Amino acid sequence: MDKSRLAFEISRRNLMRGAAAVAGAAALGRAGGALAQAKGKVVVGTWGGDYARLLNKNIEQPILIPAGWEVVQDQAGDPQRRSKMLAEARLPRGTSDVQGLSDVNMYQQYNLGLTDKIDYSKLKNAKNLIPSMKYEYGIGHIYSGKVAVYNPKIVTTAPTSYKDVFDPKHGNKLGIIDIQYQYTLVAAAIAAGGSVNNLEPGKKLLLECRKAGARIYPTNEAFAQGLKSDEFGIGIMWKARAVQWQNAGINVTAVTPSEGALAYVSGFVIPKNAPNKDGAYAYLDAMMEKSAQEAFAVDMGYNPTVTNAVVAPDLRERIGFTDAQIAKLVNLDYGHMMDNDVALKGWWDKEFKA
Amino acid sequence: MAAGATTAMTLEERGGSRLSAAALIGPATFIIAAGLLIPIAILFRYSLDLYEARRFVIEGYTLANYVTFFSDAYYLGVFFTTVKVALLCTLACLVLGFPLAYVLARTRTRYKNILIMLVVLPLFVGNAVRAAGWMTLLGSKGMINAGLVGFGFVDVPVEMMFTEGAVIVGIIAVNLPFMVLTLQSVIESIDRSVEEAAFSMGAGPWAMFWRVLWPLALPGIIAGVILTFILGMNAYATPVLLGGPQFKMMAPLVFGQMQLGNWPFGAAVSFILMTTTLVLTATAGFWMQKRYKR
Repeated sequence: MDKSRLAFEISRRNLMRGAAAVAGAAALGRAGGALAQAKGKVVVGTWGGDYARLLNKNIEQPILIPAGWEVVQDQAGDPQRRSKMLAEARLPRGTSDVQGLSDVNMYQQYNLGLTDKIDYSKLKNAKNLIPSMKYEYGIGHIYSGKVAVYNPKIVTTAPTSYKDVFDPKHGNKLGIIDIQYQYTLVAAAIAAGGSVNNLEPGKKLLLECRKAGARIYPTNEAFAQGLKSDEFGIGIMWKARAVQWQNAGINVTAVTPSEGALAYVSGFVIPKNAPNKDGAYAYLDAMMEKSAQEAFAVDMGYNPTVTNAVVAPDLRERIGFTDAQIAKLVNLDYGHMMDNDVALKGWWDKEFKA
Repeated sequence: MAAGATTAMTLEERGGSRLSAAALIGPATFIIAAGLLIPIAILFRYSLDLYEARRFVIEGYTLANYVTFFSDAYYLGVFFTTVKVALLCTLACLVLGFPLAYVLARTRTRYKNILIMLVVLPLFVGNAVRAAGWMTLLGSKGMINAGLVGFGFVDVPVEMMFTEGAVIVGIIAVNLPFMVLTLQSVIESIDRSVEEAAFSMGAGPWAMFWRVLWPLALPGIIAGVILTFILGMNAYATPVLLGGPQFKMMAPLVFGQMQLGNWPFGAAVSFILMTTTLVLTATAGFWMQKRYKR
């Protein structure tokens, strides 16, 4: 009854065998991995899906990899990557060199001290950037605008402004997207006579629409599903997304609002503790190449941010804005959004959705 | 015989067995300590800070986050909804799972392993895919509504998606296999002859269950209840996907706050969730053991 010795004792021999196996596997992994590139490794944080695929197709494969860079994508949502940057902030070396963020969040990360000021002397293509895309803290890569979208079968009078969209008379034919609360609030504020930093009129208007039966969808995809199955007929969305939905066969028409469309800019920043800042600048420069920008316009439906990109007229009509509309594009008040985000989300959760 | 063998063991041997046991649990303990306990401690430290939009966190030692949570009717509502849903799902899993576990434990068919696999089958599918499946079943144009409207039982589709009921059904579907497997292994260890003895002494099926099977299976029942309750309290994917944006439970609330960057408040909420789960679990466990002490 000698229970003090266990049946599966790890003998020294077995331990050495196991250790050798682990070391061997590790060595194999090293040798089989990519040969060290001449210029080093660039880690780019980006959204997944189409964006990541197109970054690879239009920027990494044709421009960066032939130049000798090894490019790795860190794919995750915007909030997740921002949380990661926040958590890494104390480390001397972070894990990413370039991060893709929306314009509001580029501002937020810079003001939290997490990203570098951009040294435009290092970017040879920066001379072609549209001035409004040349931020102190990042470069705009692509942009679109929040437009009114509607299904002509269900909503027979075409809307021409945000005011026409956020009208309680639409009842439960108005669709609102939960994750777009920031832009929805600002659009409603503009519709109700407020502004980008006076959102109170917008809150009142949204509550009236809610009382009239407006539907809330969790994500852009759920919104598209609702549109497709005729559950509702009107709302606001990025013009680029509307184009993608039209391509997918959903019956939706986009109208740029008369008050001026809210601009959405997808830009890229450099974290302060980026391990390879030269690589980061190389990536930013590659993003502004004429070929890359034109390909993005065709593939994704967002507008280029460089002046030397040529967009075919029929494509421009579908995805782009006229010069007058571009002049009227409205930027969110980044400071106001940053300071009030938690309170706005609180109102959205507790009073609007309740 | 055993006593003689024990005293025959030398002191060194008995000491040696304790040492090798420590060596065995050492690595796992280290990983749990480093990967779980230390981050929890850091999270707790965050919960005592304050959130400021421009500076992210103001370091401090304040209970303001906890006070905010308990003094706001909205957050208390989320809290009670979570506890209520978790309790309902646990109860439903117990009621639905026990008969199924009993049949699985007592069956002597050659397909027993296949039957057990069928019970676990829902878990083979990922959460998102399962939620998509629920949508095709419960949506306005889903199977159930198509049937109801098609046969004329209702004129307008019944709203089943994005309701509390959908979340409860979804959580039960996920947690039931855990309950069934736990109970099944425990019931298998209870000899059938004990039940037959009860029958032979004149007990009906209910008396046999309540006075013989239930007390004997109690350790397993407690384990199953604790497991499903913890899963229910911390459910994230099902409430988000089936409950929609307007249905809030604690875990999605934590995620939402962390996403906003409000780490102090998110940390406080996660601690409240963890503490509540621990307290309720421990209380239930102790109470059940005391009540049914043999």
